[in-house]
Amino acid sequence: MRAGERAHTKPSAAAPVGTGVAFENVSVSFPGQADHPPIQALDGVSLEVPERQFVSLIGPSGCGKSTLLRVISDIVEPSEGAARIDGRAPRAARLAREIGFVFQDPALLEWRRVLENVALPLELAGVATREREERSRELLVLVGLTGFEAAWPRQLSGGMRQRAAIARALATRPRVLLMDEPFGALDQITRDRLNMELVRITEATQATVLFVTHSIREAVLLSDRVVVMSPRPGRIVSVIDVDLPRPRSLATRDDPRYIELIKAGAAELEKGYSHHDE
Amino acid sequence: MTSSLRESHASSTESWPARAWPLIWPPLATALIAGIVWEAVTVIFAIPAYFIPSPSRIWEAFWGAPGTLLWHAGITLLEAVIGCLIGSFLGALLGTAFAYWRLLSRGLLPFVIASNTIPVVAIAPIIILWFGHGIESKIAVTTFLCFFPLALNMMKGLQSYDRVIMDVFHVAAATPLQRFFKMRLPSALPYIFVGTKINVSFSVIGAIVAEFVQADRGLGFVIMTTYRTLNMPRLWAALIISALIGLTFFAIVSLIERFVIPWHSSMRTET
Repeated sequence: MRAGERAHTKPSAAAPVGTGVAFENVSVSFPGQADHPPIQALDGVSLEVPERQFVSLIGPSGCGKSTLLRVISDIVEPSEGAARIDGRAPRAARLAREIGFVFQDPALLEWRRVLENVALPLELAGVATREREERSRELLVLVGLTGFEAAWPRQLSGGMRQRAAIARALATRPRVLLMDEPFGALDQITRDRLNMELVRITEATQATVLFVTHSIREAVLLSDRVVVMSPRPGRIVSVIDVDLPRPRSLATRDDPRYIELIKAGAAELEKGYSHHDE
Repeated sequence: MTSSLRESHASSTESWPARAWPLIWPPLATALIAGIVWEAVTVIFAIPAYFIPSPSRIWEAFWGAPGTLLWHAGITLLEAVIGCLIGSFLGALLGTAFAYWRLLSRGLLPFVIASNTIPVVAIAPIIILWFGHGIESKIAVTTFLCFFPLALNMMKGLQSYDRVIMDVFHVAAATPLQRFFKMRLPSALPYIFVGTKINVSFSVIGAIVAEFVQADRGLGFVIMTTYRTLNMPRLWAALIISALIGLTFFAIVSLIERFVIPWHSSMRTET
């Protein structure tokens, strides 16, 4: 059950009914400010992500891709429709600690050292001290932060902080890993490195991944499927199957198919924009 | 690997006197130079002792009756410490209630702010009328003064948590108690220390002002009686002792702060 395994779970392969993540006709509207009308963040979005698939959500600002993650993690309630994780409501999955969330801001607790930050979800779950320390050390190895257990967050670089945030999100062995532009604030070199690390990390974990990004290259490189969205109101424009071989590596970028998929994705994104060019 | 840490705290390999010395000698030198200049000025210009007593006269005045002065100082110290503790505690309690209960803060905060603008010299006689002529009334005045800084800082501190961290706790299914103790309270600690540092200065002021109004002991009492008899060197001695008490308080709180929130940016060692 390692690197090559994800290759067997082809996007088209029928997953057992009810497993994975599903959005059924989800709409979300936020009350408008002052005399503005309510904002329709999502309009009837349906999407099924089979278990252990890696799906990227891409689109311009305001297309509701982050809102989708907030719906499935029970931060935002849909005004219509429903989201499901393995057939259950997001709240049930959240309370069972089956969701890991990595935000654009690493949001580490500055009063805790790195190891204690990673252990936080386990601590909140009431896991015994020794057990959570053991698990946290494992995770620091996984994300490449060995030796920084006792460092304060502000002593770390931006990329290292995000590694710690990823380790924290994986602490409770979530079934679903949500990532909201996790590398958006990083420089390109760090970002490229962390993309390759993420390939390795997600192949080592068993989680279904929903990954929000602005970069079509990043989306194609990492995903089994790329979901292209358009704004106002947020809806899905198209879904691109990424049929690149796994495991992905730096060499993937030299694959002619990689370039084709990026072009296809860019074209779909363009359609989304042109709907709204006044 | 730790070599790549971008900044480090004061090296822990040195013993603490070696680390504290750079912080201790500059103020000592300042005090020494100021004392010498002060002494010289009073001698050269023949300034009368009731106007500005020289450091040596103040020193003599202190050693004339050190036991009595220190006893009075002890009374003031006791009033300040107890008043500071009670006031800070009650202030923190109300600040917490304000942070969690918006209607309460809306309804009550304007009056708490208003109470803070009342000069303590105006309210002290009323409090002394209520609490009597003993040490209790001086503690009550100090409590009144120390209430506001912590109420406000506690409220602001508990509201200062990061919204993304709130989402992290939500996704991790944290209970309200866990959110308070593991997120909001740690976020509030820097504010709590700001309030406490204000309070340690206020507490000495509160105790002395209360003693001005009515007392038969304490540094405020000494200052009032020596002023009436124009025994200015002794007054100055009392004044310097009160400043030293405030300074010691402040140093103790700063030391605790260094220990409790070493992670905070205000604790960065600058070179």
